[in-house]
Amino acid sequence: MSGADAQTYGDHSQWAETSHCRVSGVRHFGSFAALELIAPRVARRASPGQFVMVTVPGGGFLLRRPISLFAAHGDRISLLIEARGGGSERLTQLDVGDGIDVAGPLGSAFPTESVTNALLIGGGIGCAPLQHLADELTAAGAHVTAAFGFRDFRSARAAGAFSIERLWVATEDGSVGKAGTVLHLLAALDVAPGTTVYACGPNPMVAAVQQWTFAEGLRGYVSLEAHMACGTGSCHGCVVDTARGKLRVCSEGPVFRLDEVTP
Amino acid sequence: MTDAPDLGVSLGPLALEHPLVDASGTFDLLEYARRYDGDYFADFPYAAYVPKTVTADPRIGNPAPRVSETPAGMINAIGLENPGVHAWIGHLGEWAALQQPVIVSVGGNEPEQYAAVLAALEAYLAAAPPGTAPHIEGYELNVSCPNVSSGLQIGADPVATAEVVAACREATGRFLLAKLTPNVRDVTEAGAAALGAGADGLSLVNTFKALVLDRQTLRPFLGNRTGGLCGPAIKPIALRMVAEVAQTFPDTPIVGMGGVMTGQDALEFIACGATAVAVGAANFTAFEAPQRILAELRDALEVHGFSSVAEARGVALRA
Repeated sequence: MSGADAQTYGDHSQWAETSHCRVSGVRHFGSFAALELIAPRVARRASPGQFVMVTVPGGGFLLRRPISLFAAHGDRISLLIEARGGGSERLTQLDVGDGIDVAGPLGSAFPTESVTNALLIGGGIGCAPLQHLADELTAAGAHVTAAFGFRDFRSARAAGAFSIERLWVATEDGSVGKAGTVLHLLAALDVAPGTTVYACGPNPMVAAVQQWTFAEGLRGYVSLEAHMACGTGSCHGCVVDTARGKLRVCSEGPVFRLDEVTP
Repeated sequence: MTDAPDLGVSLGPLALEHPLVDASGTFDLLEYARRYDGDYFADFPYAAYVPKTVTADPRIGNPAPRVSETPAGMINAIGLENPGVHAWIGHLGEWAALQQPVIVSVGGNEPEQYAAVLAALEAYLAAAPPGTAPHIEGYELNVSCPNVSSGLQIGADPVATAEVVAACREATGRFLLAKLTPNVRDVTEAGAAALGAGADGLSLVNTFKALVLDRQTLRPFLGNRTGGLCGPAIKPIALRMVAEVAQTFPDTPIVGMGGVMTGQDALEFIACGATAVAVGAANFTAFEAPQRILAELRDALEVHGFSSVAEARGVALRA
């Protein structure tokens, strides 16, 4: 019940019933796949930063996979999935016409009201929700810049899935874009005062981005990754330490204020 | 055409509409209601609600990560995170619309801590104006959590189990279940101790103490190092233990659980002597899991030619 008093961010609704969807489009980028699904009830309610719980088709995996919304247009949602284990690999192998069960949208959303300048910072598969966010911010007239970091050439293949006008890429091995981490990109950017920062990626990246925003005097939000079982607030499996105590990434999050989490 | 099977069961003094309840810690009523378009209280699928374990004092639980998938199951080490019984009571009015009985899961380190939770709840119920409190009709004493330091020490020790039950028996006249751990040589020993000390029934099994390693580092993956294994992987062991308990204590109300994913699974627990069946990890697989499992149980009873749940109870135990 710890969630009852906790503040969550963004104007969003959550809906946990299962939607039986069809895959309407698949694009592959190395070990990544961008799946487009026909999911009208999910798409209608979706806000950037929210996620869905996806059942791995074909059996053999007990738990659903939490996957953030990569895009939502009309009656379609898109998911960007990285083949990391047996379950996610099977999801990247889906074809147009295949059935897939998803539940959502779930969790909190990125606040976007009265944002004029936005800096979107992503690491690896954590970049995924930032496309949905960029779409919404751009449509609202905001100036959007994105800085994405990847480990190597293989993981940087994901960048091909994105459609963001001002998108900068760094790889740790220097194979694509700037050599180094996303922090090296940030150092080279001219960031306007009052820019709102949105971050999503592995915890070490989030911690580094936190430090950078403090130093720059910027504020923003982060979407956290976590191991989840239920995805709907019941099991308390996905907690993160915050200034408000331990909170559930699936329920009070995944979007938190950047300055309140200890990832 | 035969009539639909009679799903009603009597769990001690509790008349349940059907045999399915949720396993403590796997189903949060208010979280379901938040994510549902209709009135979830009116559409509540279980025959009774067993909320997440509450303790006398607040607990922050174990460090992350707390869960991991395993072959045919999952492991968890949440650590009984809860706000403590007094803060918890402050939110009970939010469930008042629930028509089904509530069986409160209670945890602690010492008998006095368990009894303090019951005393606080009994005082709350005695003082609550009509219609403002949920229908708390029983307690499940969690003497078997493998993820807190005291859990197994109580549940694996019949003397300590009896002390907890006896302290709670003094604190309430309501239906009292003791939830047994499977991490023992003979599960009937703790069962006998609990019943001897005044428990009205037994629920089993809690999770199996287990270990999962990080694939890269070969170090324990969970923040608590060890955790509790649940899911379909444990079902055959859970069935065996329910059968042993049902055979040893034939007239005792039993809530059977462990890896129930389908109506057939639920029927198998009933066949092994369970009065009611708790659904745990399956709640994590789909929002509609309880409704699906109940529909499947109804079908499975018909397919097997049973006219009621009572008729199916214990059929696996016959010589």
